[in-house]
Formats: sequence, C-alpha cells, structure tokens
Amino acid sequence: MAFKLDTLFDAPDKKYLNASDLSILSQYVSSIPERMAVYRTLRDQEVAIMQPIADVLQQQGGHPEPMVERSVRNGLMVLRYVAMAMLLDDDSFVEERLQGWLPEMIKAYDTQAIDQQLFQLLEKQLSKVFSPAQLNLLKPSLEKAQGLMLNTRETVTPTLAGLF
Amino acid sequence: MVSVADLLTDGRLPSNYFAQDLYVRGLTEMGLLENRRGDRLLAIPDPLLQAIYSGLEKETGQASHMVLYNCGRWWGKNFYARFCEELADYYKQPMASLAMAEFLQSLQQCWKTHGWGQIHLDITYRDRGFLGVEIWHSPFTAAAPQAQKPSGDLERGILEIFFTQLTGRELSCIQTSCTAKGDDCNRFVLGLEKRLQSVETMVANGQAHQAIMQTLMQQG
Repeated sequence: MAFKLDTLFDAPDKKYLNASDLSILSQYVSSIPERMAVYRTLRDQEVAIMQPIADVLQQQGGHPEPMVERSVRNGLMVLRYVAMAMLLDDDSFVEERLQGWLPEMIKAYDTQAIDQQLFQLLEKQLSKVFSPAQLNLLKPSLEKAQGLMLNTRETVTPTLAGLF
Repeated sequence: MVSVADLLTDGRLPSNYFAQDLYVRGLTEMGLLENRRGDRLLAIPDPLLQAIYSGLEKETGQASHMVLYNCGRWWGKNFYARFCEELADYYKQPMASLAMAEFLQSLQQCWKTHGWGQIHLDITYRDRGFLGVEIWHSPFTAAAPQAQKPSGDLERGILEIFFTQLTGRELSCIQTSCTAKGDDCNRFVLGLEKRLQSVETMVANGQAHQAIMQTLMQQG
C-alpha cells in the first residue's frame, strides 16, 4: 500500500522530520475523526445510498436488470475503495487497486453508459448525505475512480467458447 | 427489481485478486517472499535467466528450444492448477461458474503482478479458430540471446498448456514475433495443430507476424 504518509515514515534513514513534514502529519491526524465519521456513514448506509440509485437506473433508464446489477456492483465496489482511500488520505489507493480491473470489467460487460449515469446519481446522493466539507474529503478519490471508468482502453474477450 | 442488499449477501465484492500491493507479501524473517495465500514466490535475477539460456545452448545446442518449451509446459500445467484453485477460493465458487471476463482479466493481472510482462489476448482471428496472444515487456525473451528465430519457448509452452486445459481442446502454440529478434513484443498464435502446420514453415523462413496471419487467413 502506497500510503501517502509513507514518504514521511521512510525518512529515518535520512534525517529527522522537519517542521513542514510534521505539520503534514498533524493535519492528517487532526482530520481523522472527520474521516472516520464519513467512513462510518458510507459503511452503514451502503445499501441506503445505493438502492435509490438502482431504482432510478431501472425505472427511468430502462436498462435491463442484469446490466443494472452489474453497474450497481461496480458502484458499490468503487465506493468501498473510495471510502478506504479517503480514510487513508490517499487517492492513489483507488488507482492501484482498481486499475487493471474496473476499466476492463466495464468494457467486458459494456456498462460504460449506465456506469456514468450511476456515477452522476451517486454524486447527487452523496451530496444529500454529506456536508460540503465532508464531500471534499471524498472528492479526490471519487475523481480518480471516475477517471478510471472513462478510460476503458484494454479489451477482454467475454468468451472463448466454440473458438477452436 | 434490483435489490442492493441481495447483491451483498455475504458482504463481499470480489475484484482484483492479483492487485500487486495485496498479492505479493514477504515472510522476511524467514527470508521468503510469499503470495497472499502463503505460497512461496521467488525473484529470479536476470543474470540467472541469461545463464540458463547460455548454459542450455552450450550443452544442448538446437535442443535448448525444446528443453525450454517442455519446461514451459510443465510450468503451465502447475500454473493453471494453482491459478484456478486460487480464483475458486477467492470467488468462493467452482471455476466452471466463474465468468470468462473475470477469469481472463485475472490472468492478465496475475501475469503483470508476477513481473512476467503484460499479456493481451487478441481475438481478431477468432472466426477462423485462432487465438492471438501478445506479451509485452517479457523478461524471459529480454534475457535470451539475440537470434533470428523466436526464443519465447518458455512462454510458448505455458500458453499452450494453459489454453489447452482451459478450452479442453488439444491446442498448439507457435510464436510469430519475438523481442529477441528485434520485434516490439512476443506474439503467439494458438489453434489446432493441423491448422497451424504452415505457420511453422513461415516462421522458419523469417516471415513477419502480419504476413503470417494474412496467409493464415487466406488459407481459410
């Protein structure tokens, strides 16, 4: 895990941390209670946040059920990684874990369009649940996740059945 | 209606099992590297790979390709079994019910995380019964001596046996481009042996991948 503060903890073989390093550490430490509060809400409200989105996608988007299920799974997965990244204050966490996976799954199951709708609905939903300051904590990793969703260049073959 | 709670019955959302920072671990006090299940991993130094190529060449000459190919097949057989076992454990379902997209994406990620380069499947020729495989940044052919003939015999062996076991058809694998002879990546063609016979001659005559594939397509 490339924890953002790792670079600070790598320092002992060089020198003591200076004032600005320590201030980065103390900023992070003082933000932990708020981060934990947001994390707990995401954890406890996981279904409550996502169910209305699934309903809208199915009723208004007119998407078939398996597509909605697949997209909701993507959404839940992204939100879990976003939550962890926010807790660690490390948006590269989202990239490291989901790169090489999420974009390819989106492409393989062809859910890019519905995933984008889901993401817009998710943003609205999150703004109902969290204060603007709390949203700011989630924003960097949400943006990273969105970037991954849009960037679906690698291809996967959905089936090898009957190929040979 | 889609019920989100039903999608989360056991609370798990399996995804990228082979994510690099999760998969590779160490039991450093014992001097061992391990994967996330506790199976041993081993880092092979480049000079050792070079030494294997040169030692084999010196002792067995032309047969070194055959030796490496057979090592690749041996490796592939074990790799396939372990790969399936790990995925079945992780997804908590038998391999047969795992979706092909998840399976193949896991293969690509697994390849990358082990440091074997980037593997891509090319299904351009699927209608004609061939599967293309590209391996970029292969550490194996990077250590092989420069040659006129492809030298990704280890990879040829592992791919042949992997896809043979996966599809249940006896497949043959031929390498059509190789970084050790100056190509951009290693390319392989998998298919039934009798349909690939002509490819071997074309490779031996030094034809490029594109030209080989074109001829193969025209043969029908």
